[in-house]
Amino acid sequence: MVVTNVVKQQAPVGVDAETSKPFPSVAISLISLGAIMAVWFVVTNTGILGPKQLPTPQALVSRFLELIKDGYQGSSLMGHITTSLTRTLSGFVIGSVVGIVVGLVAGYNRVISAALSPIMSFIRPIPPIAFIPMAVLYFGLGETGKVILIAVTSFNYTVVNAQSGAAGVPIAYRRAAATLGVSKTQEFFKVIVPAALPSIFTGLKTALALSWAVVVAAELVGAQKGLGFLINQAALFFDIPTVFIGIILIGIIGLLLNLALSLLEKKLVHWRGRG
Amino acid sequence: MTTQPAAGASRLKEQGMSVTLPTQEKIVFSQVDKLFASPSKTGDQVRALVGLDLTVHKSEIVSIVGPTGCGKSTALNMVAGFDAPTNGSLRLDGKAIVKPGPDRAVVFQQAALFPWMNVLENITFGIKSRGVAKEQYMASAEKLIRAVGLNGFEKHFPYQISGGMQQRVQIARALISNPEVLLMDEPFGALDYQTRILMQQLLLELWREFKPTILFITHDVTEAIYISDRVIVMGARPGRVKLEVAVEEPKPRSLDFLTSELFTGLEHQILETVQHEATASHAAH
Repeated sequence: MVVTNVVKQQAPVGVDAETSKPFPSVAISLISLGAIMAVWFVVTNTGILGPKQLPTPQALVSRFLELIKDGYQGSSLMGHITTSLTRTLSGFVIGSVVGIVVGLVAGYNRVISAALSPIMSFIRPIPPIAFIPMAVLYFGLGETGKVILIAVTSFNYTVVNAQSGAAGVPIAYRRAAATLGVSKTQEFFKVIVPAALPSIFTGLKTALALSWAVVVAAELVGAQKGLGFLINQAALFFDIPTVFIGIILIGIIGLLLNLALSLLEKKLVHWRGRG
Repeated sequence: MTTQPAAGASRLKEQGMSVTLPTQEKIVFSQVDKLFASPSKTGDQVRALVGLDLTVHKSEIVSIVGPTGCGKSTALNMVAGFDAPTNGSLRLDGKAIVKPGPDRAVVFQQAALFPWMNVLENITFGIKSRGVAKEQYMASAEKLIRAVGLNGFEKHFPYQISGGMQQRVQIARALISNPEVLLMDEPFGALDYQTRILMQQLLLELWREFKPTILFITHDVTEAIYISDRVIVMGARPGRVKLEVAVEEPKPRSLDFLTSELFTGLEHQILETVQHEATASHAAH
């Protein structure tokens, strides 16, 4: 009796875990998030951490409402956000388009690949922020320098992935194309490019995340607008709640940018993991 | 083009040339060697094929069976134009094979459909990109889709259909250019038994309609006998022809053929050689 009971109780456990999850992951994530908020609320409201170190959640909310109403240092909060986004996206688009085209051609063509790879392997490990002084030196403190800096960052990451994607196209696809009598141009556009798409998207995601990081860094130097300028300026005036709001906004927008790319990837690379 | 097969091949042949076989030579290997650079950097070369003599006649179905490493896929890859012979000559209609082309369609074992194209796009990709008029290739595509039983699945992507259906798409894609030669590299190897038999019957039906010359690579001796006019057994290390038998049963063949005396006799004869070669190649490791 005891033995059968044990068997009966044990068997369904694995089945249950696979078919109907007793506790959904989303709930666990929400609880974890809630716990962090609770700890934050307690340590700031009981004086364990002072407002100079960490503002209370209420202070952040009221400062956030103020910022929405009054803006910050001569421009609205939305203005700071769109300034940063415009810089990021224009640099990202320019850099990615050039990076993808160069990468695909290099992945397809041995000569171009051999010519490019020593330069690329040298530049790749250099953190993009290391180029900020050069960007200022060459292009000044205006928009051009920032956009070029982001474009270079995006180029660096998209070119590598596009190249490895184009170079790593399964031999079966290329052989199939060859026996079907497809021209080299057709092979490039109809076989190599789509086959490299999953890899291209990996590059685009890294590039976008880094572009967003670089724009904040670039705005710390000589900018009059943007989220990087906002947190830097607020820190200079010990306006701690504004610094935190800036950081949270940068995080949320970064998350949304990545989400947008993921959605685009799902649509364009519908066969990913199923091909 | 009326020369008999080379002496080496006929010496190995157990049965005489069937009178029912067509005689126009389509693919001719003569004394073909294929050496590959060794992956182990010892400087030694891997002898994938040595002194291969093989003639495939127009509209004939020839299967090559043999253990892994006997060079059967290498032989097919050379006809396809993916690889060139190291020594000897390989001719198609009397001309040396230089590169792949739509006159020699290939059906691969798996994963050779383009996952970003749906069934119809996969089938028409080659013919479309070679500039054939749309009305023309769409008519051929429709006819072939019906012939291989894919109607209603034109808009499906490869990952949405079964392995058997994927191979139907590959066959339709191969046949749409009306190739004279169909090269099939273990095309049904990944399919379950029932599906495999259905595909073999489909292949024989399609052969009756289009009459291509077929070079068929397989591990499966039953499959080889069932579909072929001739079965070639190859041995490994180095790859060479060990046995060649004609299957003198008219096509199309019913399933009853699988249990006939002729079939089981051939099966026995071929399996013996295959087993022997497999043991030898295993012992050589």
